[in-house]
Amino acid sequence: MSLTRDEEFKQEVLRQAGGEVLTCIQCGTCSASCPTAHLMNPSIRRLVKLCSEGKKEEALHNETLWMCTSCLLCTVRCPRGIRPKAVVSALKDLAKRAGLRSKDADYEQFFLKQIKDYGRIAELALTGEFLLVFPQGAVQSMQMGLEFLPKGKIDLKIEKIKGRDEVKRIIEELREE
Amino acid sequence: MKLAYYPGCVSKSTGKEMDVSTRAVCAALGIELDELDDWNCCGATHVSHELVATGLAARNMAQTDLSIMTACSICYSNLRAAAQRLEETETLEKVNAVLDKKYIGSRIRHALDVILEALAENDERIVVPFMELMVAPYYGCLLTRPAGQYSPEFPSILETLIKRLQAEPVEFRLKTFCCGGPIFMPQEKAAEDIAFKILSEAKKAGAEVIVTVCPLCHLMLDAKQKVLEQKHGERISIPVLYVTQLAGIALGLGPEELGLEMNSVSPMAMMERVYARLSE
Repeated sequence: MSLTRDEEFKQEVLRQAGGEVLTCIQCGTCSASCPTAHLMNPSIRRLVKLCSEGKKEEALHNETLWMCTSCLLCTVRCPRGIRPKAVVSALKDLAKRAGLRSKDADYEQFFLKQIKDYGRIAELALTGEFLLVFPQGAVQSMQMGLEFLPKGKIDLKIEKIKGRDEVKRIIEELREE
Repeated sequence: MKLAYYPGCVSKSTGKEMDVSTRAVCAALGIELDELDDWNCCGATHVSHELVATGLAARNMAQTDLSIMTACSICYSNLRAAAQRLEETETLEKVNAVLDKKYIGSRIRHALDVILEALAENDERIVVPFMELMVAPYYGCLLTRPAGQYSPEFPSILETLIKRLQAEPVEFRLKTFCCGGPIFMPQEKAAEDIAFKILSEAKKAGAEVIVTVCPLCHLMLDAKQKVLEQKHGERISIPVLYVTQLAGIALGLGPEELGLEMNSVSPMAMMERVYARLSE
């Protein structure tokens, strides 16, 4: 029997975030703990429910995913031992695989590409690359840059580690596991 | 004591004073640091795929047999989370299949814990006791994640260290609230609003200085403080020091050794008060 797209989606979220997602009692402790709850729609509580119901479209197409600061307070407090942040991470991964683009998804892609290419993050290059595509934050970043440069807090050269092939392998092969 | 040292990517740029002061304080306390060979980025909060993040951390941890110290709470949390996941055989096998040097186990320590352990009560190396300096302990989130090391709800290690440096910890409501930093590039306003709330609370609680354990918290509270003051029309003017800088001042290290001139909000006026109280 073949799975429907929604059922397949649900199974993939459960595989990445843990089967305990299905035990959610919708108590809302996660939403009540979240520092960016006021910016989320649907709420993190609702997002967990959408996953256990296999509602792929609603779960992937929203801003909620990208408002998560990864502070993990939801995960610390969940009385059922569910990891709502892991649900968010799984959804981000699925959104990227589905080719959904947003400012936030692109930032993560730039970030991962730097690790793949250099082994480390070169903040100047990362900021530059991001601002070329999304210039809204450029003024403030430039102001900060002007302060940091004479203080030696901007590394103008990009350091590449020796083990880049190994890092690339970690990223590419483990992502397919 | 000898430890492996994982500086993390920001040590080369926006968190340079964290790295400079960490090395200086450890040298002053007789702790030898051996920088991890060819270390890579831990993925920070931007590598969503858990197994990939675990693999990135494992490559770093496999470079040494020593305990690994970092001064960055994000690196600290990522390495600890990975070490926990790698206790599962299935995860360990998958990860080791792609690593050159295999992971066999690791102990991860935050510089905060290392410094506290090295300092005795009334340690004679504390040549600049802070007297009644009001210090706001800002934990942020990731120092206490994953659970198992410090209480995520009621941590106390920073207060213990502040007291050991003979300063006064300030009780403030938002000390474990996330700084918003991880989303500040794509979601600038959301992140800034959170950071401002924290600064404002610390101010109300009477802090003369805020101490941080994470370069992203530091960036949000220190480097952005001036912009936040302008946007909200409220004067904050509180220096924000890394815990390594605070400990270094107490140990008598100079501004240059601790990178104090790299901080955005100058701590010099605060230091003058400390020295003035000392000579009273």
